[in-house]
Amino acid sequence: MQQLDIPKKKPSFMRTIAAAPHIVWAVMFIVLPLIVVVWYAFTDAEGHVSFENIAGLSDYADTFLLSLELSVIATFVCLLIGYPLAYMMARAPKHRQKFLVMLLMLPMWTNLLIRTYSIMAILDDGGFLNTLLGTDLHIIGTKGAVIFGMVYDFLPYMVLPIYTCISKIDRHMWEAAEDLGCTPFQVIRKVILPLSTSGVVSGVTMVLVPSISTFYISQKLGGGTFELIGDTIERQFVSGALNTGAAISFIMMLLILLSLAIMNRFTDADEGGVIV
Amino acid sequence: MAKLIELKGLSKSFDGEKVLNAIDLYIRDGEFITLLGPSGCGKTTMLRIIGGFETADEGRLLFEGTDIGHVPAYKRHINTVFQKYALFPHLNVYENIAFPLRLKKVKEDDIQQRVTDMLKMVALSGFENKSVSTLSGGQQQRVAIARALISHPRVLLLDEPLGALDLKLRKDMQNELKTIQKAIGITFIYVTHDQEEALSMSDTVVVMADGEIQQIGTPTDIYNEPKNAFVADFIGESNIVDGIMLEDKKVKFSSHIFDCVDGGFAKNEAVDVVVRPEDVDVVEPSRGMLTGQVTSVTFKGVHYEIIVDIGGFKWMIQSTDYVAPDAYIGLYIEPDAIHIMKKSKYSGKFGDYSSFSDELDRLSDAELAEEF
Ligand SMILES: Nc1ncnc2c1ncn2[C@@H]1O[C@H](COP(=O)(O)OP(=O)(O)O)[C@@H](O)[C@H]1O
Ligand SMILES: [Mg+2]
Repeated sequence: MQQLDIPKKKPSFMRTIAAAPHIVWAVMFIVLPLIVVVWYAFTDAEGHVSFENIAGLSDYADTFLLSLELSVIATFVCLLIGYPLAYMMARAPKHRQKFLVMLLMLPMWTNLLIRTYSIMAILDDGGFLNTLLGTDLHIIGTKGAVIFGMVYDFLPYMVLPIYTCISKIDRHMWEAAEDLGCTPFQVIRKVILPLSTSGVVSGVTMVLVPSISTFYISQKLGGGTFELIGDTIERQFVSGALNTGAAISFIMMLLILLSLAIMNRFTDADEGGVIV
Repeated sequence: MAKLIELKGLSKSFDGEKVLNAIDLYIRDGEFITLLGPSGCGKTTMLRIIGGFETADEGRLLFEGTDIGHVPAYKRHINTVFQKYALFPHLNVYENIAFPLRLKKVKEDDIQQRVTDMLKMVALSGFENKSVSTLSGGQQQRVAIARALISHPRVLLLDEPLGALDLKLRKDMQNELKTIQKAIGITFIYVTHDQEEALSMSDTVVVMADGEIQQIGTPTDIYNEPKNAFVADFIGESNIVDGIMLEDKKVKFSSHIFDCVDGGFAKNEAVDVVVRPEDVDVVEPSRGMLTGQVTSVTFKGVHYEIIVDIGGFKWMIQSTDYVAPDAYIGLYIEPDAIHIMKKSKYSGKFGDYSSFSDELDRLSDAELAEEF
């Protein structure tokens, strides 16, 4: 009620001042770096404007396709595991939900590098798993290992938006569906799933984007046998080929924006849409 | 009419609070029955147990003689119109109504036919392709009713379905619901805290308070023969005074001995006496059985509402004749206007108009309406 009193005039001087740090921050750490990337992408080593970087990217098409393949598979696996998990969390008693969310977030408090190293230690040729089973499985260096790493590292990003979305669905929706004759499974398929698409789209985005550009997971769990686009970018920058690196990054950004735009079409704009 | 649903000794607690206490009730096939009571008395909980969304802690729920206490909601031939309609936002009007039929894999032609008929019944023909979010409250309500009725349930549960509508629309919908119920002939179990709504729509009214049934009866029974002070006060206006039953058909209250029509009480039993405001005649003080001073007079359109102080107890009287404030008047009461009730835990809590004000009455009604 009190809020009605706040006049809706244009932002006052004080408010502009208050917003200033945020604007400065955004310009310094988001806008400027983007301009730098674009600048490097369209210049050569001497600083002359050039389209050669972009033109030369066809060499990396295979790497890009491999990245796409692995990250799409990883995202799909995350969805298969993540949706039922999110569903069960949302249906758990309220007091237990907080605990479950914490459990899900717990691994995220550990550094990504450490987590990836641990997976390595477990899956390695003479590692924990092989010792435990007494086997001689060769896992590190396979696509499977990289996908496993991606799924393990990014699963919470799939679960959380879906969980949030499902837990916001009014209790009466479930009850109405059941009342009208849905078995528990039909309630999910006919009502909950359609009403949680925006969560699914968020989750897919939040897993697909980091896994398509990951470099660390593929280096460690790929055992150096294959290179993903993230590794390529890293290699360019480390070796001083800033312009090529920037060009690949620029194209990646465009592709990601494009896919976000496409995915956003599947959700209503007012349903929260994609969290980026 | 045969018994369709029976509740036997049904109890339910939430967090150690008893919300329903040993409820015994049977519901006949095809009747319009209303659960009436103030907010928080357990009406919704009772409806949810019948619908299959809660399980009772004790007691049995029978449907045509079979215990269905643990049958899941989707297997019961009982559908619900939810208080907030609960229409599916991802489906349009047509698909919302067709939803139960699609689950049953009814043939497309049949679905089309039945949805069209149903839309006609709820006066929404032509709304097939509308998104449910563009509909008004009243229209959403109709879609919810159509959706609940299309699979031919045996029973329809309605939880304060008109609570969110404005007065005019509410009256129209009351008539419409009654017409629909008569037309299809199934059992309606209706929940409301609005006594007028309950009296005008129902075949049977169940008055509830504090998780217990106070009285079950036809609207006329409930109004004319309230069982205790709670019912008398909740249904319409009542003056409720302490009395002594001297013998059959003789009762003493307000220091006067009255003839009445009730009997069957012990000699000198303490009782509650109810007199409806419209049953009191205003006469000359000399001819009055009781006399008192008018403390306030309010014009109500059809009648005047007069508050009279009789020996410290304030009576409400409705009269078409004007009396002046502060005037001394006499009251005349016919024997059949005096209704005697046994003492109950509600005795002495209701029926005195000392602190009465219309505004307060409206406020508490509004509070009731806000909750559900
Ligand atoms: N799920 C629940 N958990 C805890 N308390 C509840 C729950 N449902 C209802 N209650 C309590 O039970 C009492 C009766 O509620 P309800 O059946 O909704 O009453 P009514 O519909 O008559 O207003 C209220 O005190 C309410 O707070
Ligand atoms: Mg209620």
